[in-house]
Amino acid sequence: MFWLFIFTYLSVLIFLAVVIYKFIKIATAPVHLRWELYPVPHEKGKASYGGSILEEVDWWTKKREKDHLGELKVMVPEILLLKGVWEHNKELWLGSFPFHFALYLFIGNIALLVIGTLLEITGISPFVFKANSFWNSFWIIFRTVIDVLIWVGSILGILGSFRLLFTRIVNRNLSLYSTPSHYFNIIFIGAIYATALIWRLNDSDMVRNLMVYYFVIITFSKEIAVDLPLQIPAIGFVHIIISLLFIIYLPFTHMTHFFAKYFTYHSVRWEDTPNAPGSKIAERVGAQLNQTVTWAAPHIGADGNKNWIAIASAAPSKEAKR
Amino acid sequence: MKNIKIRDISSPVEQLAEIKLEELYPLPPPYDKIEEQPGFKNLSPEIRAKYEASLDGVMAVGLKKPESEEEEKKLIDAFISGLNKLFTKENNWTFLQPLTLSMEYCARCQTCNMDCPIYVGSGMKEIYRPTYRSEVLRRLYFKYVKKGSKIYKSFQNGGIELNWELIARLFELSYRCTLCRRCAQSCPIGVDNGLITHELRKMFSMEMGLSPKELHEKGTVQQLEVGSSTGMNALVVKDNMEFIDEDISERTGIKVESKWDVEGAEILLIHNSGEILTWPENPGAFALILDAAGIKWTLSSDLVGYDGVNYGLFYDDVQLARVAMKHLEIAKKLKVKKIVMGECGHESKAMGVIADRIFEGAVPRETAMTLMNDIVFSGKIKLNPERNWFPVTLHDPCNLTRSMGVIEPQRKVLRYIAPKFREMEPHGVRNYCCGGGSGFAVMSAYNFSDWRIQVASRMKFEQVLNAFADESPGPETPKYVCAPCSNCKGAFRDMFDFYGAKTKSGLYYAGLVELIVNAMVDVNEGFIDFDMM
Repeated sequence: MFWLFIFTYLSVLIFLAVVIYKFIKIATAPVHLRWELYPVPHEKGKASYGGSILEEVDWWTKKREKDHLGELKVMVPEILLLKGVWEHNKELWLGSFPFHFALYLFIGNIALLVIGTLLEITGISPFVFKANSFWNSFWIIFRTVIDVLIWVGSILGILGSFRLLFTRIVNRNLSLYSTPSHYFNIIFIGAIYATALIWRLNDSDMVRNLMVYYFVIITFSKEIAVDLPLQIPAIGFVHIIISLLFIIYLPFTHMTHFFAKYFTYHSVRWEDTPNAPGSKIAERVGAQLNQTVTWAAPHIGADGNKNWIAIASAAPSKEAKR
Repeated sequence: MKNIKIRDISSPVEQLAEIKLEELYPLPPPYDKIEEQPGFKNLSPEIRAKYEASLDGVMAVGLKKPESEEEEKKLIDAFISGLNKLFTKENNWTFLQPLTLSMEYCARCQTCNMDCPIYVGSGMKEIYRPTYRSEVLRRLYFKYVKKGSKIYKSFQNGGIELNWELIARLFELSYRCTLCRRCAQSCPIGVDNGLITHELRKMFSMEMGLSPKELHEKGTVQQLEVGSSTGMNALVVKDNMEFIDEDISERTGIKVESKWDVEGAEILLIHNSGEILTWPENPGAFALILDAAGIKWTLSSDLVGYDGVNYGLFYDDVQLARVAMKHLEIAKKLKVKKIVMGECGHESKAMGVIADRIFEGAVPRETAMTLMNDIVFSGKIKLNPERNWFPVTLHDPCNLTRSMGVIEPQRKVLRYIAPKFREMEPHGVRNYCCGGGSGFAVMSAYNFSDWRIQVASRMKFEQVLNAFADESPGPETPKYVCAPCSNCKGAFRDMFDFYGAKTKSGLYYAGLVELIVNAMVDVNEGFIDFDMM
């Protein structure tokens, strides 16, 4: 099953390449005008009621203290528990929370499987320790945790997928705005959960097989690679292939909100840095003001040569009265 | 049309949606009788033949129908051109990043819907859903701006047909949202439908030259040419202020004299000049308080310097920058230590936050709320809160609170000087817009004000009534809505007049500084006179 491993590498590479490209594209977008939205959680002592430093008289003379822990206090329940959806859309949360939380559990499993492989590489192999030794107990617990995450994640994920699909179809508010991809995406991710559960139901060695699969992927171990496919049941292959297809598909969809959300919060909602003379922002804005404007409305007065600052400094064109 | 879908915005039907009084969010008594409500003025067949009203039978902007197929095609081409420019860094560096994020990452979960006071107030009309216009623009963006396979884009984002009907309705629809951004607060991903509306308006103005007259010709253009969006030139404004000084001096027993063009002053005070014309007690009260506090302050008689209005904030980045740069230029010329923005939410936001990255070497700016809080608790003026012995509630202007985080200063003052102060629910950063936001307060062409008052201001009106629910409901108890924002006051004026709320419920509105002056011990009693309001 050489092709399975090649396909794995290819999927991960495509995923990383597109996500990194998108990430860089957003991160290097021009600095924009301030558009923060309160409450801004890093406003020390004021975030609880939505206040800002602008409440202080002569605020520009005051030392600005940012409460980064305050940001974490908002982001952690928002990401892990979908707090915003819970507060504003409980019906959706009933599907969305288990659906997303199951993904987190699966991602947690991936992290554990990578850690397991790294331990094996350093010689702490799960297959060589004597009974009652520390490492033997460690690996038993380690595998049990992965197993529990598979069970809980797949069951939660299946329930969440059904509920989400049902809500999207039945609730007119959602169905009106849903495109074919919304249904497809839920079914796609639901299939990952379903195949994981079926695999686990049919294979008591699923954790062991997964650990070997990750070991092969990370260590490029040809020898083990030959034996492994024989031990993975057909449903295991189906699960792995669906998961890899999803990894390729994901970066080309709006579901990349998993990292875009960082920017919508940190670069827009909570971005309240004043434009101090000589600052980085002032430098970047200065460069942007030199760009040529081509808006066509008469009052703008763009002629194909004037830059932003020239246009903003001029009076509206005499043709402005429409 | 029933069961309206996204694609229906291109439908050739005569009118996409109809607003019925009986379907609107119900108001409490005595405003619950539909038969007693004035309703909506119908547009005449002549007007409808000439202008576009095919969205909801309401006209905010009066867009002329194209007279030929060629003209229609030109407009469609201009729209596509504008759409593409909206996503270039050269033309729209100002908002490109937040706009692109809001376009590409919406999960269409509709979590924001019920936070929109217009959508709820309308009885949940599909076209007013905060995501409706966003979704139309999003589909156009993926179809005309983003590269990629047509089939894949349609699969991911849905399809849409671009025609004149869509453009005309989308233009009108961009003036059915007050940009209050309450919906953006509830979006778990951080998508901002208020921003999308703002960008739509910009595209229409900056590429196609389309915007409401009140914001453009009579707004920013007049302000840059004459000095003020009210049409007042420097002579007129000085004359008016002189009259205000005399009137306030007489009423308060304290000599008030406005200062003009004082170089090196501590504060350059810039009012929304609508105050000077419509609510003269407000600039008068400012002058009295600043003098009493011993502050060296000044007004400016330079072009644009006496009007803090900046309607560019609502529809056009270039006009925003032009007005803001004038304000800065004047402050630099006068060598003042700081600019204080008067009681005007959008002025505060435009000058204090939005234009911050347009200014180079800016003069510091702060809001009047902050300054008043400082003065009141400085001990420089003597106050007797008992003089404000009537129920008071506070309206939070969206621009001051949601967009600037200025929440507590005005509350601290009210808790001290107004013993019968109570909050509205919800309040602070979760407030409802007055319905006059984003320029609506000054837009009243055709039948737009009927819509604005009955739909956009509906939740606010209910909220005001609820805030005074523990008081005698009739006019025998005057109830004071403190609205520290000129445009919000305009919305309250129209709302209260429309419903006869002064006569029926004893509802009055004014600013914060009037309450401070009313409580000042050195001032003649009765500065706030409900019989005169």
